[in-house]
Amino acid sequence: MTRPIKVVMAKLGLDIHWRGVYLVSQFLRDAGMDVVYIGNKFPEQIVEAVMQEDADVVGMSTLGGNHHSLGLKTVRLLKEGGLDNVKVFMGGVIPPKHVPALLEGGVNRVFLPDTPMQTIIDVVNGSVSV
Amino acid sequence: MANNPEKQVCIFTKEQLDSIKTGYDDWFNNVLKDGDREEELAGKYFTHSGIPVKMVHTPADVSHIDYTEDIGYPGCAPYVRGVYPNMYRGRPFTVRQLAGLGAPEDCNLRIKYLLQHGANGVNILFDLPTIRGYNSDDAEAEGNVGHCGAAVDSIWDMDAYFKDIDLGTISTSIVTHLPSTSIVIPGMYFAVAEQRGTPKDKIAGTCQNDFIMETCVGSGPEILPPPVSFRLQCDVVQFVCQNYARFNPISYNGYNLREAGTNAVQEVAIAISNGIATAEELLKRGMNVDDFAPRMSFFWDLHNDFFEEIAKCRASRKVWYKIMKERFGAKKPKSMLMRFHVQTAGVTLPATEPLNNVARSALQGLAATFGGCQSLHIDSYDEAYSAPTEEAALISLRTQQIIQAETGVINTVDPLAGSYYLEYLTDEMVKRIFDYIKKIEDMGGLVTAVENGWLHREIANYNLKYQKKIENGEMKVVGVNYFRAEEGSAREIEVFEYPETYTRQKAKLDRLRKERSEQKVKESLKILADKCHTDENLYPYTLEAVKNLVTLGEIEELFREQFGLWTFPLIN
Repeated sequence: MTRPIKVVMAKLGLDIHWRGVYLVSQFLRDAGMDVVYIGNKFPEQIVEAVMQEDADVVGMSTLGGNHHSLGLKTVRLLKEGGLDNVKVFMGGVIPPKHVPALLEGGVNRVFLPDTPMQTIIDVVNGSVSV
Repeated sequence: MANNPEKQVCIFTKEQLDSIKTGYDDWFNNVLKDGDREEELAGKYFTHSGIPVKMVHTPADVSHIDYTEDIGYPGCAPYVRGVYPNMYRGRPFTVRQLAGLGAPEDCNLRIKYLLQHGANGVNILFDLPTIRGYNSDDAEAEGNVGHCGAAVDSIWDMDAYFKDIDLGTISTSIVTHLPSTSIVIPGMYFAVAEQRGTPKDKIAGTCQNDFIMETCVGSGPEILPPPVSFRLQCDVVQFVCQNYARFNPISYNGYNLREAGTNAVQEVAIAISNGIATAEELLKRGMNVDDFAPRMSFFWDLHNDFFEEIAKCRASRKVWYKIMKERFGAKKPKSMLMRFHVQTAGVTLPATEPLNNVARSALQGLAATFGGCQSLHIDSYDEAYSAPTEEAALISLRTQQIIQAETGVINTVDPLAGSYYLEYLTDEMVKRIFDYIKKIEDMGGLVTAVENGWLHREIANYNLKYQKKIENGEMKVVGVNYFRAEEGSAREIEVFEYPETYTRQKAKLDRLRKERSEQKVKESLKILADKCHTDENLYPYTLEAVKNLVTLGEIEELFREQFGLWTFPLIN
């Protein structure tokens, strides 16, 4: 008996443009996942939502440069909250040379501009066994 | 359209049109190959916004158009051909490139660099905390200080932004986005000008000030309710019109609507609906339409569909003219002519093979020129990586100069007029914009359409449709889903980083808090808080506050407390 993968999607902090994050949310939903879009949230609030929703996956979108600070802070807070098993994905306008540091910090995968939606769906599907 | 056949000044006589139609039928039935004919009958081609496109357009497609009434002459009603009689011969469009990164002191150098290289206007950008109304040292600002634009916390920062630059000789577009910050940040600019002795009537520029940006196109963790944001928008327009004759208090931001997810028709119709709502509110406040309409300006996004985008520019001028004249009874010609700034479409610029974006942006910039824009920003090839680096910004500037100086396209006004295809599209676009405006009005107007989440859903639906076309390859993006670039062809782009901005801003804020009179700060905030609950215009009070060294973040926090917050639709 499998259940749908539960995904919490957030816009990170003060980031403004919601086109990308909402599109990814819609595509994941159409692919059969249970997606909750929580809007603009700070790391503490994201972790709280992950806990409340009992999510398998958290996706964070950022175009404005807070990927290091707030993105990695979210990963740290998830670990501190005992949520190490939650998969963390980031996407948006993130300079490619910043990606290794994010992966090292515990982000499972960073999706850069031009990534096909099917790639995101496949990676998320492959990251969780439910 | 002219209904009186005697007045009709069609380009072709009835006899000529009959012969053209016969000729077309002959061509269609006897010259076209069978497969092409079937394809044409199946109606497979559309513009980006969905207007049917024929294989060949002829005078028959525009035979209902009356040249004098429907198209006319530049600088004359209905302004389809442009807002000034001589257009770019008199003055080419203003080359207005963006400048904003790091701290105001960094931007000051960039502005000087652009001015020295021939720019005659500047666009100043802010970082996300400034855009959404937080100080650099507020907890919410963490990680965003100095990225994508400059941090401006107080009047001191505005002074630093324009150090050694005469505010009486440049035209500055202050890209504030939200009404709640447009009632503060341009005020800092006015206050700096006042301190330097620049006369009010020499201060030229624009601020964006669009409640759609605050409540729909942009999202944020704390959002003011749409009616409040709309009130602040109107406060800015009213106050600036009454005090600063050469400053445009609003730029209806079709651009970001388009980037967020609308087609060309929706972009123009929604922005104009906001113009209508503003006009109605200001009339209620006792203003005369001719006192504010000449100061309203618009901001369009020039996307990929070359002819549709040119048609959009021409059609938008006509729609605005008709609304101002027929609905609001404007008398001054300046009230009826729509001036607009253009930025090329950032959303069309992929990260893959980024140098291709120089070509994309040049074509979009050319369309803006054919569309008769008043000022132009050409996006830089590194759009999908960061705010433009110096090299990329210079290429954008040079692209504008090449269009102006080398191609010859600015030597005659509206050179594509009379193209059967373009005139057909322009006419269709006018009708479709009016239809969409009516849809919004029937719903109770734009503020309602935002409050109930309708506009957010329109945008989300558009995006889903558009993205599916990219995913399945129906919409081609060269290098991305068409002639796909080889892996590893990405160019390493240097991005600007100003990690020290936070420290510098924090030090300035600490010093400001020490040096200012806390008594005056408290008084200014107390008065402003009280005035929030009256019908009075808030601008005089925010202006007084910034002169008393109250910070942007303090004023915005006050608004959030006094007006309360609103939940962004689409959140579940």
